[in-house]
Amino acid sequence: MGRLLYDVPVTQRSPVARSLGAALITLAVSAAMLGAIELSLFPASGIHPVWVPDLFTIGGLIYATAGLVAWWRRPSNGLGVIMFGGALIWLAVALANTAVTVLAAAAIVLATVPLAVVVHLLLAFPSGRLRSRAARWTAALAYITAVVLQVPEYLFAPPGSPGGMLAAADSPGLAAAGTWLQNVVGLGVMLATAVILIARLRRAPRTQRRVLLPLDLYGIAAVLLTPLMPIMIQPLTGMSDAVTVAMQVIALSLVPVAFAAGMLRGGFARTSEIQELGAWLGADTASRPSLELALARALGDDSVRLAYWVPAQYAYTDADGRPLAMPGAGHGRAASEISLDGRRIGAIIYDATLIEDPMLVHAAGQVVAIAVDRERLIAELLASQEELRESRTRLVNAADAERRRIAQNLHDGLQTKLVLLALEAQQLAGKPGAGREVAGAAAALRGRIDAAAAELRGLVHAVMPAPLIERGLAAAAEDLADRMPLPTQLDIGVDGALPGAVSATAYFVIAEGLANAVKHAQASKLSVGITRTEDTLLVEVRDDGTGGAAPGSGLGLRSLADRVDTLGGRLFVTSQAGLGTSLRAELPCGS
Amino acid sequence: MRVVIGEDEALLREGLSLVLANGGFEVADTAGDAQTLIAHARRLAPDLVITDIRMPPGYTDEGLRAALEIRRTMPSMPIVVLSQHLQRQVAIQLVAGHSGGVGYLLKQRIADIATFCADLRRVQAGGMVLDPEVVSLMVARARAGHKGLRRLTARQQEVLALMAEGRSNVSIARALSLTERAVIQHVSNIYTQLGLPPSDDDHRRVLAVVRYLSQQGAPT
Repeated sequence: MGRLLYDVPVTQRSPVARSLGAALITLAVSAAMLGAIELSLFPASGIHPVWVPDLFTIGGLIYATAGLVAWWRRPSNGLGVIMFGGALIWLAVALANTAVTVLAAAAIVLATVPLAVVVHLLLAFPSGRLRSRAARWTAALAYITAVVLQVPEYLFAPPGSPGGMLAAADSPGLAAAGTWLQNVVGLGVMLATAVILIARLRRAPRTQRRVLLPLDLYGIAAVLLTPLMPIMIQPLTGMSDAVTVAMQVIALSLVPVAFAAGMLRGGFARTSEIQELGAWLGADTASRPSLELALARALGDDSVRLAYWVPAQYAYTDADGRPLAMPGAGHGRAASEISLDGRRIGAIIYDATLIEDPMLVHAAGQVVAIAVDRERLIAELLASQEELRESRTRLVNAADAERRRIAQNLHDGLQTKLVLLALEAQQLAGKPGAGREVAGAAAALRGRIDAAAAELRGLVHAVMPAPLIERGLAAAAEDLADRMPLPTQLDIGVDGALPGAVSATAYFVIAEGLANAVKHAQASKLSVGITRTEDTLLVEVRDDGTGGAAPGSGLGLRSLADRVDTLGGRLFVTSQAGLGTSLRAELPCGS
Repeated sequence: MRVVIGEDEALLREGLSLVLANGGFEVADTAGDAQTLIAHARRLAPDLVITDIRMPPGYTDEGLRAALEIRRTMPSMPIVVLSQHLQRQVAIQLVAGHSGGVGYLLKQRIADIATFCADLRRVQAGGMVLDPEVVSLMVARARAGHKGLRRLTARQQEVLALMAEGRSNVSIARALSLTERAVIQHVSNIYTQLGLPPSDDDHRRVLAVVRYLSQQGAPT
């Protein structure tokens, strides 16, 4: 039966996902081509060493790579989009180093936007969305600071400068004032960002804090150090311009790498890979991994457990029908109920410290609700099947106990009485005063009583054989073989006790197999094999007779098959014309 | 002759005691379970122990195990094991492991008082007594398994079965209405035909025949 035993990983992606993949590859190729064109545009000589302009392009390409990876892995998360937007800004800023004046001017306009992008990333991490009004305002202010307050920088620049074509008046004073204003407002933006981040850190669970804190600190440091480096650090350390620029670029371009890694691996897998769940539902049953596993992957929480609601027991069970308790409050675990047509059908138990948005879990649950219901029905069926099997086993055990009791009663009662009756008859026959006739009649009576006793022994033997009761399966099988009119090879590989129902069933299989072989097979040799693996008893009776016995024929075999089935075992009849017949039973006997 | 009886069924215990008393035996004590039987045998050191194979507490083969235990500590103690159902392996276990003084009989044989008492006396005297039923089981099995036995004449097979039961030549002669000389001749022929080592000792003779029957019975 195909139930929750698949080990094929989720590989299918939906058509939408495939289309997204194609789009992202196109973007990647475009970014790479843009970068390559840019690199070829940079003049071979300039104020800086020649590799300095390349740094900006490379930074842009790093942004593009991190953004596309994040976008691909978490399609519904906005961080990837923000990073790719950042990449375009970077590639534009890099144009400042080209000899083309229009492009260089555009670059000057956007020169400080990369800092705003970092602020945006900081505020939007890890969902990619700006959740609070404060965050939205702060991000907007960051972009305004970067774009609008940048205006004096080029409006009042000297005509020969890179942004010279945009200059309205050469006024170093106004330009400096503009830069000052931009720095002050920028600092304010950073303060606001820090306040928002601190508030968020305080709310975050400890597991998330471990990832959030270093990311936040790094992001803030990167933004603050970029303007401060040429003003404070360079004069203090005496670094060259080239080294200073290189450090700025490195500090900023590693930001998306850190954020993408944090998002993908830092336990923030709160994306709706619900699409993936849809793909899972569409995959054919045989190649489909378990529902629980699919949910765990989609939700990014390996500890996800799926509970199925069993109305009859008014309780949750797992896929195998075992009871499953719902998490209590304060253990970091939470449950999200799944319902279908207003009925409760199951629940997803997940790590609430890892997944902070209960609605996401709920949505995932509703996507797979029909599948859960199906699995639930299977679990319910398995539970009732298990119950049925148990009750049938109880019946067999009870029947065996009854057989034993009857055999014991006959043995103790009737057989003993027959011995005593025969004894009395014999005594009567031997009495000195008895006449010949009486003595003869009494002796004949004793003979008849003995015959009756022998008949009774046969009956008791059929009900529950004495050797089985007295000395176990191996001895009883030997006794059976001893009584065969054909040479019977025994191969017994069991010792130690077996459950009563198992040894009795094994015995009846052997008895039936031998009796059939003697009766129908025209065999010249029989063999009996009993072997035991760790949890299975294998019993086989073979003959070298004519074969061709129809399986399932005969009442004996059918009731035997029932009995074997009840114990969770299997009975096989192999009978090919000319190749003899084999009756084989596999009986579970694990403790 | 002092006898200890092991039999859990009270009525049969009484009946057996009566048979033995009438047959000239002295019932030293009776036991209703295996442990008591062992204790009685050790304490009373009787001339003979008779025990049912199925005894409390488990009602499996406690009586047989008690008999083997008594023989382990008192190797010369004659023992007769009674059972409702005879098994070849039990017969071999009793015969092969011991040097005489062993009997294995169907419970129903008690009723044939004279034969039963005679069998008890033979065991007490160090003989081997196997029930005809278990012997015929062994002979039938050996016949099915091997051609060796089928070479014997019908009369020789009868003699062989009685040898296996532990009968002496005189007893065999009486049972088959033959002269003792004729029986000796049959026995000698059987020995030659089957390639058995000749033996005058009744016990060794039983052992040899039982061994032969067992070996021939195992199909190859």
